[in-house]
Amino acid sequence: MMWALAWRLARRELRGGLAGFRVLILCLALGVGAIAAVGLLRAAIQGGLADQGGVLLGGDAQMHFTYRFASDDEKAWMGEHALRVSEIVDFRSLAVAGEDPALTQVKAVDDAWPLIGAVGLQAGTLAQAFAPQGGMPGGVMEKILAERLGLKVGDTFKLGNQTFRLGAVLLREPDSATAGFSLGPRTLVRTADLAQSGLIAPGTLYETDYRLILPAGADLDALQKAAETAFRDKGMTWSDKRNAARGVEKFVDRLGSFLILIGLAGLAVGGVGVASAVRAFMAARVATIATLKVLGAQGALVLRVYLIQIAVICAIGVGLGLVLGAGGLIAGAPLLVKLMPFPVAIGLYPAPLVQAAFYGMVSGLLFALWPLAQAVRQRVTSLYRGTAERVWPKPAHLVWMGALLALFVGGAVWFSGNASLALGTLGGVFAALAVLAAAGLGVKHLARAAARLGFVTGRPALRWALAAMGGPRSEVQAVILSLGLGLSVLAVVGQIDANFRAAIARDLPAKAPSFFFMDIQDAQLAPFDALMTGNPAVTQVQTAPMLRGILTQINGRKARDVVGDHWVVTGDRGITFSDTPPEGTTVTDGAWWPKDYKGPAQISFAATEAAEMHLNLGDQVIVNILGRDIAATITSFRKVDFSGAGMGFIMAINPAAVAGAPHSSIATVYAAPEAEADILRQASDTFPNITAIAMKEAIGRAVEALSAIATATVLAAGAVLVTGLVVLVGGAAAGVPARMREAAVLRVLGATRGRVLASFALRSALMGAAAGAVAMGAGALGGWATLRLVMDLPYRFEMWSALSVVLGGMLATLAAGVVFAWAPLSARPAAVLRQAE
Amino acid sequence: MTTVLDLQDVHLRLNGNAGAVDILRGISLAVTAGESLALIGPSGSGKSSLLMVMAGLERATSGRVSALGQDLTRLDEDALARFRRGNMGVVFQSFHLIPTLTALENVAVPLEIAGEADAFARARTELGRVGLGARAGHYPSQLSGGEQQRVALARASVSRPKLLLADEPTGNLDAANGAAIMDLLFDLRDAHGATLVMVTHAPDLAARCDRVLKLADGLLA
Ligand SMILES: Nc1ncnc2c1ncn2[C@@H]1O[C@H](COP(=O)(O)OP(=O)(O)O)[C@@H](O)[C@H]1O
Ligand SMILES: [Mg+2]
Repeated sequence: MMWALAWRLARRELRGGLAGFRVLILCLALGVGAIAAVGLLRAAIQGGLADQGGVLLGGDAQMHFTYRFASDDEKAWMGEHALRVSEIVDFRSLAVAGEDPALTQVKAVDDAWPLIGAVGLQAGTLAQAFAPQGGMPGGVMEKILAERLGLKVGDTFKLGNQTFRLGAVLLREPDSATAGFSLGPRTLVRTADLAQSGLIAPGTLYETDYRLILPAGADLDALQKAAETAFRDKGMTWSDKRNAARGVEKFVDRLGSFLILIGLAGLAVGGVGVASAVRAFMAARVATIATLKVLGAQGALVLRVYLIQIAVICAIGVGLGLVLGAGGLIAGAPLLVKLMPFPVAIGLYPAPLVQAAFYGMVSGLLFALWPLAQAVRQRVTSLYRGTAERVWPKPAHLVWMGALLALFVGGAVWFSGNASLALGTLGGVFAALAVLAAAGLGVKHLARAAARLGFVTGRPALRWALAAMGGPRSEVQAVILSLGLGLSVLAVVGQIDANFRAAIARDLPAKAPSFFFMDIQDAQLAPFDALMTGNPAVTQVQTAPMLRGILTQINGRKARDVVGDHWVVTGDRGITFSDTPPEGTTVTDGAWWPKDYKGPAQISFAATEAAEMHLNLGDQVIVNILGRDIAATITSFRKVDFSGAGMGFIMAINPAAVAGAPHSSIATVYAAPEAEADILRQASDTFPNITAIAMKEAIGRAVEALSAIATATVLAAGAVLVTGLVVLVGGAAAGVPARMREAAVLRVLGATRGRVLASFALRSALMGAAAGAVAMGAGALGGWATLRLVMDLPYRFEMWSALSVVLGGMLATLAAGVVFAWAPLSARPAAVLRQAE
Repeated sequence: MTTVLDLQDVHLRLNGNAGAVDILRGISLAVTAGESLALIGPSGSGKSSLLMVMAGLERATSGRVSALGQDLTRLDEDALARFRRGNMGVVFQSFHLIPTLTALENVAVPLEIAGEADAFARARTELGRVGLGARAGHYPSQLSGGEQQRVALARASVSRPKLLLADEPTGNLDAANGAAIMDLLFDLRDAHGATLVMVTHAPDLAARCDRVLKLADGLLA
């Protein structure tokens, strides 16, 4: 009965059109749109990875080994459990065409490859491309590599000692994502054809993957457990189609968390917009509410009349937002697909759309309920006079709001699937709001005090501005709250982005070596050294023998049980051996083994990492090197710097302990940049099997990959920024009537338009600067929390990013203020004043 | 006897929602210095519009409007604003105080605009003169209607304008408050020797003026 009446009254008010609701609808639409877009993006990434999990991986499951092929035991296990197996060898090498060498990531395959999917060649089949002609085997290269070497199909190139004919140009590998970020463009050959190349000798740096096709319905979980129990300590890593994107997992993880964060922050900013728009909407209805009450409507009826209107408006805004978000993402799809270093399946996933709609409706109602509940409790006289006292909503309404809030938070936790992240973000937003509210109050009082100070006498524009900020109906708190939150999010993202980019720059060694040479055989060491030191352009050459091994046990317990997921034990690490401490080594504790020491194995451990893992001198460890367990005692710690691109070995062992283990050496060469091309050519001519990595090129690729992440974060933040701007503009638009009157009165009293404008601009700029300053602090805090706690990256305050946020905030508010001063300034005072009669 | 206000065949046409409306249809009148003139007439007859035109707040569509010897039709918006400083004080039916400024600050605004150094001291005196010395720090929302209109009066007269224009200054007030405002208005005029043009509905108020003109349908009757 009451609802029916409320509905009739509400419909009558809505009949006037939606003009008065524009800001509210826009805020909701943008907030919901941002959440929908971010949610769809997340779904697209997950969908892309799941869809193509098997294809990406190139099989149902994969067993991965470093620097060795699978042992007979391991191969037997695969044969027992898999229907089909394919073996792949992956390593870096130099492809040489004539004089020109170029770094390439070689993938050597067997006849079973690819188990899933098909390879894309510019022409012909893989079998045709590989088929020998005139005793010369065929190879396939990525276009960019063939072009760099100036090769056409039919031309020849060398990998190590083996000459190949370019059989075809590679367009697409079905299983490329598993390699993560590779260091060079791809060359595909058959493993058998490499027999004479001298490239896959024991001790050289290569990796092998065994792709498995499993029987339908195979229990991946059980198989993984079985394989890991049997072989993990020997260096096997398992992956399967459930987590195919091995190389990008962490990236996707971080990006996913970040997208949740951005989505929730966008929601909060949109929410503030919704709140202020609802408040403005209610303020404009205060007289109507008072009249309704005079005519005998009780509070409950008034509440319903407006709740219905808000619900209708919210539904429109939400619908628009869904269209906006989904449309925006689909429109941006080509760009996104290009930006992401892995496949994304963009589509209209229902779940994120439903979630966005849920957030929009709940937050719209939540923010509407408070001013509504206040308005219906106020006395008619104060409603008419427009001097709203602060009354508390009725307890029943407070309970309702509590329920809505709980629903909202619960939804955020449930939908994000990451309670701590969702609660952390919401907590952060809440804290930011509290700080901003307090700051708003502080600025208001400050402005009021400043308006009375001596320096403003004779500066009426400034005094009016300060008075307007410090007086009743001050916009300061609203502006600082809405703009401040938007700017805070922007500042957080700015800090993250700048830190990302700074991290890239910082991680680039100040003085990187020109080359990193790998796979140097013992017999080649002396001639290699001679060749390099003989070149006057070379300033420094460092070589060290290198093995790879896994630290499996510490004092009789599994290493992972002792130190958890410390990076040292999560995979195989470089190990060097030397009779004497290598040049430049600082032993910090204990003593290096004597020359020609032949006793039980001893290890010198990197000091910082040892401290992190709580290792002590005398600890017994077992290191698995190429499948063989070596028990050793830690007898010294030494300082190792992993930050540069130079050599850093976590462990050094006495030579006798690994005597006979196949190994090679690595070398770093520092040279004048202009001589680099010559050095590379000389080295590859003289030692065809040695792989050189030009550091600048490698660094360039790493930078590219990291920049893509940074760009993605900035893109996501853009949605939030736009929402914040709409809130800002909405606020400025809502203030127009008040400014119209003020401008008219000031002009009646003799003020020129310039002076009125100056006063309006001043208060905008001052409020923007205040909001920006608060946001700067919030950004620093939020950036720190996000980077350290969520993304696990180091944080440093980025001054320029922060300053630009303050300045941007000031300019944005100023621009909005000036744009919206246009109407008040150009209106004839008579018209304005007459309307206000 | 100097003429302070001179209107010649003033027309005002405004574009409303329902097309162009002729609001003033040929008004000619002259007001001499020190005179008090009442404009009466039914609601909607154009009284407020005429007052706005006199104040330079509305631009006449045609005709000549000159105040204190200055042709207002030749001035642009900012020149009009500058002209009003010290020359005109305007009082409205609904007060039009600036809500973000206190009573004292509202009164000081015209002096501040004119660049007077002792703006606040003079504003305080003027506020005392209208009996609100004790309410200087109050914001308009904290004052009653009668008090707000007294602040508006103080604001209109603080710069000693030669011309006082008032549009139904008691229209929103009860009889007692209205009478008090009226007394104040005439006191101020007498004290400063200003010329007064006042729009009113009340015949007894009109009777206090030297001359009464009746407006009907945009024309002087
Ligand atoms: N901006 C406008 N556009 C069109 N008509 C207007 C406008 N402002 C006022 N009017 C009309 O002009 C007429 C005179 O208005 P007004 O001067 O306020 O009369 P009064 O003050 O005598 O009541 C009225 O009929 C009013 O409706
Ligand atoms: Mg009128």
